[in-house]
Amino acid sequence: MSERLFSAGINNSSYTASPLTDPPALRPAPQASRTRPVFCLTRFFPCLLLSLVSIIARGDGPDLEFNHDVRPILSENCFHCHGPDNATRKADLRLDLADSAMSVIEPGDPESSELIRRILSTDPDEQMPPPDSKKQLTSNQRQILTAWVRKKGSFESHWSFTPPKHVMPPNLDDDKWSGGMIDKFIFAKLREEKLSPSPPAKRATLARRISLDLTGLPLSPKALDEFLNDDSESFVEALIDRLMHSPRYGEHMAIRWLEASRYADTDGYQNDRYRYQHVWRDWVIEAFNKNMPYDQFVIEQIAGDMLPNATLRQQIATGFGRNHRINSEDGSIPEEWRTENVVDRVDTFGTVFLGLTIGCARCHDHKYDPISQREYYQLFAYFNNVAEWGVGPNNGNSPPYIEIPKNWPNLNPGEDRLIPPDAVKLRNARAEAGNGLQRPQAGSLSTLMVMHELDEPRATYILQRGQYNMPDQSAPVLAGIPDSLTISNESMPRNRLELAKWLFEPSHPLTARVAVNRLWQQFFSSGLVETSENFGSQGSPPSHPDLLDWLALELRRNNWDIRAIQKQILLSQTYQQSSQFTKNLIERDPKNRLYARGPRGRLPGFALRDQALAISGLLVEQIGGPSTKPYMPPKIWKSISNNTYQRDQGANLFRRSLYTYWRRTIPPPTMMNFNAAAREVCVVRTETTNTPLQALTLMNNKVFIEAARWMAQRMLAQAGNDPKQAIRRGYRLAVGRMPTSDEMSIMWQTHANFLAQYKENPTEAEKLLATGTTKRDQTIPPAQHAAMTMIATILLNLDETISNE
Amino acid sequence: MNRELLSRRSVLLGSLALTSLLNRESPANDHESMVHKGLPALPHFAPRAKRVIYLFQSGGPAQMDLFDYKPDLSKRFGEEVPRSVYPDDRKTTMSSAQASFPVAPSTFKFSQRGQSGSWMSDALPHMGDMADEMCIIRSMHTDAINHDPAITFQQTGSQIPGRPSIGSWIGYGLGSHNDNLPAFVAMSSRGSGKSGQPLYDRLWGSGFLPSKHQGVKFRNQGDPVLDISDPAGVSRDQRRTMIDSLTKLNRLKFDQIKDPEIETRIAQYELAYRMQMSVPDLLDFSDEPKHVMDLYGPEVKTPGRYAYNCLIARRLAERGVRFIQLFHQGWDQHANLPAQIGKQCKDTDQSTAALLRDLKQRGMLDDTLIIWGGEFGRTIYSQGKLTEKSYGRDHHPSCFTMWMAGGGAQGGVNHGKTDDYSVNVAEDGVSIHDLHATVLHLLGIDHERLIHKYQGRDFRLTDVHGTVVQPLIS
Repeated sequence: MSERLFSAGINNSSYTASPLTDPPALRPAPQASRTRPVFCLTRFFPCLLLSLVSIIARGDGPDLEFNHDVRPILSENCFHCHGPDNATRKADLRLDLADSAMSVIEPGDPESSELIRRILSTDPDEQMPPPDSKKQLTSNQRQILTAWVRKKGSFESHWSFTPPKHVMPPNLDDDKWSGGMIDKFIFAKLREEKLSPSPPAKRATLARRISLDLTGLPLSPKALDEFLNDDSESFVEALIDRLMHSPRYGEHMAIRWLEASRYADTDGYQNDRYRYQHVWRDWVIEAFNKNMPYDQFVIEQIAGDMLPNATLRQQIATGFGRNHRINSEDGSIPEEWRTENVVDRVDTFGTVFLGLTIGCARCHDHKYDPISQREYYQLFAYFNNVAEWGVGPNNGNSPPYIEIPKNWPNLNPGEDRLIPPDAVKLRNARAEAGNGLQRPQAGSLSTLMVMHELDEPRATYILQRGQYNMPDQSAPVLAGIPDSLTISNESMPRNRLELAKWLFEPSHPLTARVAVNRLWQQFFSSGLVETSENFGSQGSPPSHPDLLDWLALELRRNNWDIRAIQKQILLSQTYQQSSQFTKNLIERDPKNRLYARGPRGRLPGFALRDQALAISGLLVEQIGGPSTKPYMPPKIWKSISNNTYQRDQGANLFRRSLYTYWRRTIPPPTMMNFNAAAREVCVVRTETTNTPLQALTLMNNKVFIEAARWMAQRMLAQAGNDPKQAIRRGYRLAVGRMPTSDEMSIMWQTHANFLAQYKENPTEAEKLLATGTTKRDQTIPPAQHAAMTMIATILLNLDETISNE
Repeated sequence: MNRELLSRRSVLLGSLALTSLLNRESPANDHESMVHKGLPALPHFAPRAKRVIYLFQSGGPAQMDLFDYKPDLSKRFGEEVPRSVYPDDRKTTMSSAQASFPVAPSTFKFSQRGQSGSWMSDALPHMGDMADEMCIIRSMHTDAINHDPAITFQQTGSQIPGRPSIGSWIGYGLGSHNDNLPAFVAMSSRGSGKSGQPLYDRLWGSGFLPSKHQGVKFRNQGDPVLDISDPAGVSRDQRRTMIDSLTKLNRLKFDQIKDPEIETRIAQYELAYRMQMSVPDLLDFSDEPKHVMDLYGPEVKTPGRYAYNCLIARRLAERGVRFIQLFHQGWDQHANLPAQIGKQCKDTDQSTAALLRDLKQRGMLDDTLIIWGGEFGRTIYSQGKLTEKSYGRDHHPSCFTMWMAGGGAQGGVNHGKTDDYSVNVAEDGVSIHDLHATVLHLLGIDHERLIHKYQGRDFRLTDVHGTVVQPLIS
């Protein structure tokens, strides 16, 4: 705790003198450890609990850290009635604030503390939490609270509400492994847990990992050879640099941002009308490809329209704030749905930039975090001045929107400046029939929805129970930051632009942490804070708090250079470890939260389709433009809606998946099958599942069969009459290595079977080869082509192919 | 850990029958079990129903034309509905600008059906035959007035997207009885009338629950389950060969890298293969006797029709699928209601009754809960022109009718009353949350204890509301 406050560069010897020979649970309490030596261990060693409990009972307990050990218990079990929410608070007691809590705590004396008496009571009238709350403390939790009170019951602010601290990692004598700072943090923790890092990944595996992580595509065999033959010292760095400068990098980085930004091609309600936001999507790709600093990336998207002498590009960035769903259902009440638009902006802002569940305070004070309902509407006020109408048109963009120059993105000199949008023009929809709905004008395919402030700001009121028609008009609410996040009173942001800039105040506790956590999550499949959407009281505490802070400060020190941080992560020994599992690691750390091995996991749906297209040679590398409509199941839209999906022809069938038309109410099933975010609301974390429906897609879906057919052509191209040569080429294409002899013998035998069958049934071969819309190379005999297509299908289904390891 | 490794090993050894299709996900995400057979504490008490068939009537069926009999209104034909009964601020903008809001009495005849003497429209003759099985709730009410939020509310307990659908909650809580079919299957159909309002994937989505709990939509076009068919030119034997080789190769990989996920994946390919066998078997009606086919009516053999889906629903119920939901579109009669709703009834009446009868004769109605209803009701005032023979009705959230049957629902009951105009609930209102609480109760679930934590908060299907409606329970 206090040790955490070490400033940079101070080398405290007690820091590194951790008694590695002691069993961790028996480490004496006053020891100068800066970590949570015991309680975090219990997550990995449940068997240690017993000895732990007895220690507490004896009173010479271990270091308890409030934020890590105590707050989660109080938050989960007590805050609902004794927390930030005024309305549901009981007995005027707050256990989230030290002053109030001390009325039921006698520091150092659990026996005289009302808190402890109540949690130990078995009398239903006294017991806390009360029986009707349906919450119950475990005996371990009671022990922890008792031990904490005995140790004076000190409080700390919630960790994520205090600025990142600059803590240097310990220099451990036996650390022959670490390459940089990241590794030192990881190594120190592994030492504590008595684990060792894994050896480095094989060079080819590493190359594939880096390529998939940075571009979403595997290296071509030629590029892989170049890498394997690069004998310079900085060969990994060279590869990273090369890939970061590929246009494919920006496309791949954009996907997670599109999901977080709930970007889609339709409005998302009822008839799910068409909209045109792809120019904004292309802005995101370009921003990543130009390595736009994160602060600029964010400020322009939140408030590019309000920057002095704003450019057209900066205005286009604000499409971010208009990506929310828009209701255009007949019969809608405009103010009801305009309110929902603003709510969505506030919630998205809270999740992506602050890592907080701000939306919980819409109807009442937040139950767990210090955000009151009033403060929710203070944030609401920043986003409440958009010159919009609550109901959308029948198809097309909703005002405010701007006409994008035809030559976009190649603007002529003088064209790169803000375009004032037209005001909303309402027209009556079928007034003669008694229809009272007014709709605004619709923007065409060449327009883009942007943020634009009203000249006269709308008054914001607290909405009782969050209802649009229940404003508390006794006093308007002014825009403002919640007290708990106020950095200084002088800098209280007054409008959307100042709000965006406030995120980048030097001592802002959340912005940088939340951002680096997502970058980490992208490479390791989970963040240092596992709940990347929630850094609040109910979120998971960081696995490596000092590393998180160090990365956050590093991002800031590097002027928010995203690639620089990514590069540090990718160059770390931590990232470059082999992802080999061991029995010990599976038991001790199944989720790899300690990083004793490299990451391994299934590729996302986007990457699976893109990879198959790339391996087969079908991929069309063309950046940007209107969304594409590749293969979908028959009548994908018509079967449950009133629209017809018009599939594209030719090249658009084989563009990257991030360009696929995203209809919110009927999202692309193949992507959803592999856990894509639905794009209805902001999502920054998705799960990874392993289901039979995924197997069906990879084995039977048209695009994967057509890709296999093309891959087979590639395999056969230089193989002559030697199937083994073709199989070798297939392995190189799919997983970047040669097959082992066992693999070769399985594949060779399987191929022989298929070949015999297709020679016997040439019409079946022709049928298989007719899958898809592209023509095949007719010089290949059908039986050979079909048999090799089946081999290619196996290759595209290999666990190794669909995983990044 | 050891238990988990053991169960994984049992998968490897080939005891695939133990594993539940679609109910398995990455062990990294789900440490409690590799095989989802429901949450450990569930059911909380002895269930009355083992499964649910929810016959969702999308668009908002007009309660006063089907169930909510208001004979006195014929005297008020064309009179203005009093503002005191129907305030302006809850009218949609589709009709709020009308100069007049005239009472449109139903043109349908009503009669009392069954021992219970429930009043039902003559547009539903077959359902009327089953009146004594039906627990009719005339006092349903909802918060939303537009289709999207209202149907989202019905399905998830919230108007805002992102929450799990009721079927997902139930699959999550209780798991599946069948290893080769999903726990939750959704189907849709269109009537012969107007095209109807669209549906959305979120209606059977799993929201923040793990996606293995989402409803699998049986498509009424092309493959019933996405990519269930092998490509043209690939035989079943060839698929078998392909999977066998793939398994050998994946096992070599597993031996090398030891990632437990690979073993799960091997099992998933086996399950996919078996699902490819079980789905066609499900859809093959050749084992149904003629008298059963006849019961469901002439459209029973036509994929994409309500009658066809009703028979599939029964076959799914027999196979242990936990939650089966039909969505029938086309109940949104803003104009020309009598003719349009007549067609809707013709499309659905016989097969709905047939489903009840068929389940009953198999002894399955006792533990199969049937639910019938839409997202809201319709206005008593005419939207657009009112004539003696025709009228339209706008959306109406303040009262509507639903019914349940079987699975512990009390047959022959008429619960709740509306006012003289069928505008407001007069007695015993039942909210969407109450309905959800009651459905969960019949399945042996305390709705306050079926909880999932998301973003640090405990969520329930019933949010912080809902009361079990005891009079509905037998």
